[in-house]
Amino acid sequence: MHRILIVEDEPILRETYKIILSTQPYICEVASDGKAALAKCDEQTYDLILLDLMMPVMGGIDFLENYKHLDKMKSKIIIISNLSSGKELERARELGVHRNIVKSDFSPKQLIAAISHELEAAK
Amino acid sequence: MVESVQDYAIFFMDADGYIQTWNRGAQKTKGYRPSEIIGKHFSNFYMQKDIEDKKPERELKIAKEVGRVEDEGWRVRKDGSKFWANVVITALYDDEGELQGFAKVTRNLTERKEHEDSLQAANRLLLEQQKELQRLNEAKDDFISLASHQLRTPATAIKQLLGLLIEGFGGPMPENILNIIEKTYESNERQIEIVNNLLQVAQMDAGKVVLRKKAHDLNALLLSLQKQYSGVLADKGQSLKLSRQSGALLGYIDEQYFRMAIENILDNASKYSDEGDEIEIIAEAGNQYVHIAIKDSGVGISPEDIPKLFEKFQRISNDMSHRVSGSGLGLYWVDKIIDLHNGKIDVESQPGVGSTFHIYIPIGG
Repeated sequence: MHRILIVEDEPILRETYKIILSTQPYICEVASDGKAALAKCDEQTYDLILLDLMMPVMGGIDFLENYKHLDKMKSKIIIISNLSSGKELERARELGVHRNIVKSDFSPKQLIAAISHELEAAK
Repeated sequence: MVESVQDYAIFFMDADGYIQTWNRGAQKTKGYRPSEIIGKHFSNFYMQKDIEDKKPERELKIAKEVGRVEDEGWRVRKDGSKFWANVVITALYDDEGELQGFAKVTRNLTERKEHEDSLQAANRLLLEQQKELQRLNEAKDDFISLASHQLRTPATAIKQLLGLLIEGFGGPMPENILNIIEKTYESNERQIEIVNNLLQVAQMDAGKVVLRKKAHDLNALLLSLQKQYSGVLADKGQSLKLSRQSGALLGYIDEQYFRMAIENILDNASKYSDEGDEIEIIAEAGNQYVHIAIKDSGVGISPEDIPKLFEKFQRISNDMSHRVSGSGLGLYWVDKIIDLHNGKIDVESQPGVGSTFHIYIPIGG
């Protein structure tokens, strides 16, 4: 079973993504900021990370900067933020993350499709 | 003659500053009769602080060295009251070049001074008020921005959670319940749209929109928009026609913002047109500008409403506005975006016939 980490500071959105993903055969875990996510990634390998960008303590870009130094198999990453463009997303692309979903734009089916697409590509 | 001048105090002093003559103007200005002041030192007219600073001596010294000294400042009358004076002290020499004394002319400029002071105070007050207004305006922008950000999160959660039910993840649902959920979903979509518009406008008004312009093929962009909109419009039985020249049509744009501006106008064209109507985009190259016209055969805009169209929070009332949603911010934002492109937007419209929005975008930077 695929293991997915949801990194999102807003509790209601964290909960919502978890509910959406619970309709699929995934094991879901959550982290409320980049720092908590790094700690989790240190202990556990995830197949995919859903990553918010704007978060207190440690945002998504800082997470990515640190994550690339972790000495282990890397997860697929999908950015899920309010941004559709800008410096942060450009930096994310430089750091190798190409899939970006705008929070208020997608439907649950589209999120699930994006996740399974990334997981398929990883095989 | 000197004796008869009343508007100025004119008197002579000896080489050490002792008063020798006194005219009627001097008596009027300073309050001393001749017998009270002749033979006294002219420092009597100075403020205590100036005397301690040796200002009277300094002024005589300058007049002696360069021939003349002029000064403006507070002086004191016999009764101790002060007045704002313009003072000119001129050194007087005899034929051998020996200093004989000084002539002193003092004008009372208190009224002018008070006038200037009150003007300055009024000016300061205006500047303070202007600063306060600016601060309040920034606070307003910050508030709109913050409130919109905060509103977007719960609206996003509602969208996803209702989306789960509509997309069948909660299992089959009776038609009537699904109908209610879909209406709720649509209403929430409007809310998200308004919040997004507010955020866009707040960013714009705060000067945070920075375009990254490059030469782009507008034909390719319009083709991709046509593809994107065909599905959306088909749901309303509407269609989008694109009339363009073959080959590339270069325009100097920020692709993302320009695309959003065109989308905004296409959304309006669709909203204010009937089912089955056609919307047309016509693109053509001019000398220095690319001209893009977006033409609908919708409800139209009456001539008196056209000037209000690109203003903030203006919603035009027409046959359809009561059932079409909008924040009254879309075209305000579009106008500003086209402006940032050094372009131009205008509209021609006839109620009941339709509207055409004309956009002109520079070919080069």
